[in-house]
Amino acid sequence: MPEQPPLVLIDLGVGGMTCDDCVVRVETALEAVPGVESAAVDLAARRALVRARPDVAGTALAAAVRAAGPPAGHRYNAFERARRPVDPTQASGAAEGGR
Amino acid sequence: MTTEPDFLIVGSGSTAFAAAIAAHDLGARVAMVERRTLGGTCANRGCLPSKNLIEAARIVHEAAHPRYDGLYPASVGVDFGRLVAQKDAVVHAYRAKKYAAVADALDGVEVVTGTARFLDPETVEVDGTPIRAGQILVASGSRPTIPPIPGLESVPYLTSDLLDADEAGRLTELPASLIVLGGGYIAAELAQLFARLGSTVTVVARSELLRGYEPELGRLLAAAFRSEGIEVIEGARVERVTGDARSVALAVETPQSGQILRAERLLVATGRRPNTDDLDLEAAGVATDPAGFVVVDAGLRTSQPHIWAAGDVIGRQHGSQMATPVGARQGRIVAENAFAGAGRRFDGSVIPRAVFTDPPIATVGLTEAEARARHLPAVVATTPLEHVPRAGAIHRTDGLVKIVASTLDERVLGVHIVGEGAPEVIHEAAMGLRFRAKLDDFVDLIHVYPTMAEALKIGSQAFSRDVSKLSCCAE
Repeated sequence: MPEQPPLVLIDLGVGGMTCDDCVVRVETALEAVPGVESAAVDLAARRALVRARPDVAGTALAAAVRAAGPPAGHRYNAFERARRPVDPTQASGAAEGGR
Repeated sequence: MTTEPDFLIVGSGSTAFAAAIAAHDLGARVAMVERRTLGGTCANRGCLPSKNLIEAARIVHEAAHPRYDGLYPASVGVDFGRLVAQKDAVVHAYRAKKYAAVADALDGVEVVTGTARFLDPETVEVDGTPIRAGQILVASGSRPTIPPIPGLESVPYLTSDLLDADEAGRLTELPASLIVLGGGYIAAELAQLFARLGSTVTVVARSELLRGYEPELGRLLAAAFRSEGIEVIEGARVERVTGDARSVALAVETPQSGQILRAERLLVATGRRPNTDDLDLEAAGVATDPAGFVVVDAGLRTSQPHIWAAGDVIGRQHGSQMATPVGARQGRIVAENAFAGAGRRFDGSVIPRAVFTDPPIATVGLTEAEARARHLPAVVATTPLEHVPRAGAIHRTDGLVKIVASTLDERVLGVHIVGEGAPEVIHEAAMGLRFRAKLDDFVDLIHVYPTMAEALKIGSQAFSRDVSKLSCCAE
């Protein structure tokens, strides 16, 4: 098995979400970005936590979120707030959150 | 602070609130820092309270001076204390509804009370508590300028802060007499306000009234002031101020003569300066100009990439003006540039502006002098309001419209109005300028008859016709 690069946890601020459908749209858009392993959106905290390869740029995630909006109505926005290495001994990091 | 904000805003006025709301909608956690009263100058001690009192003063004046034969003058008694109290109630209600409740309703927008000071480019200290943020907006506004006049420092004086609803500098007793130092829009509005409420008012202006506007506007206003009994001294230099809490005296020199003016109170309204002196912007590596305005690029970014400035603190850069709606527009642009990578630039080319005197004044775009300074081939037509049917019908022909147009394509470059309704009428002109309207666009638009807005149609026709020979509806 080839060696995996260490993953990072990227904390995104996400605006424009109002409902569970929005959560699904934003999560789906983030997980479609190459290099993203998983994404977990917190509607109330207006935040997404993304597990991704370190070469994934915050601007690419933001662009994917902005493009995820439905034709009319909601307009989503995202920006990178912070990123840190994921502890490789942990099985799943996307939901751990923490600041 | 419960969590580190994404966006720290120094100030809580119209600029700060627009930025906070926009940044919130873009997903950011926001903290606003305010050292005075929530809402900034406009809501607490500027536009809102002055417009409230100016309208009351108009009612007093019009009752005493009915324009119609057949109407007899009536006297409306003024209880200044109660008038101020209702003004304060309006301010408090507006502040609660448009500022406090808005901030409360937005989860993730917090207001911090205290004095902000930069410790380093990423950290602002508020009364000893450091707050770090990835993006910072300086929207700390402006305050009245105090000119260096000998004696002024030891004489009690008023500033436009007299309008404040809560602070110590507020005025609750009507002065029997008042000297207004300054000739700008704030001086003009307050001078007429107090005169109409019963003060004996003298305006002392360094140059002419409303310098920087089309000269016809200030001349017409000065004449209107004099006809109401307001003394207007132009081209004046104040040599010395003396006095105490009961009376003040100004030694004033004009090119013609020197004189000593006396009044119960002195109001200093000579301009506004940016609130940047206490921020330690140097610690943040943020550049200011010699007057203290924060230097920004057209995207409102300072010399630090993550620090922005907007509103009164940027002065007149990039065509900006110190005005509530200008700051609000800029606040939104900053939020979109900081959190959505929008790359938006502030466009100050079309900013309608009003002076709420009577007759009121409103302008948008270039003056004749500004057009010439830019070497734009411009032509001008000035039309007295006696040619506007509504003005004649309601006995309000005091005023004019001056239009500046390009000789190349007849595009309208600027519109300047003195007259009833000007602050409303100017929006048609502003929308015209926004869409690069030509003189014929104003002429071809069917206007409601009879309205003051017809002044724009008639004023545009004045470039090619004798407007004294138009029939009804200006055709």
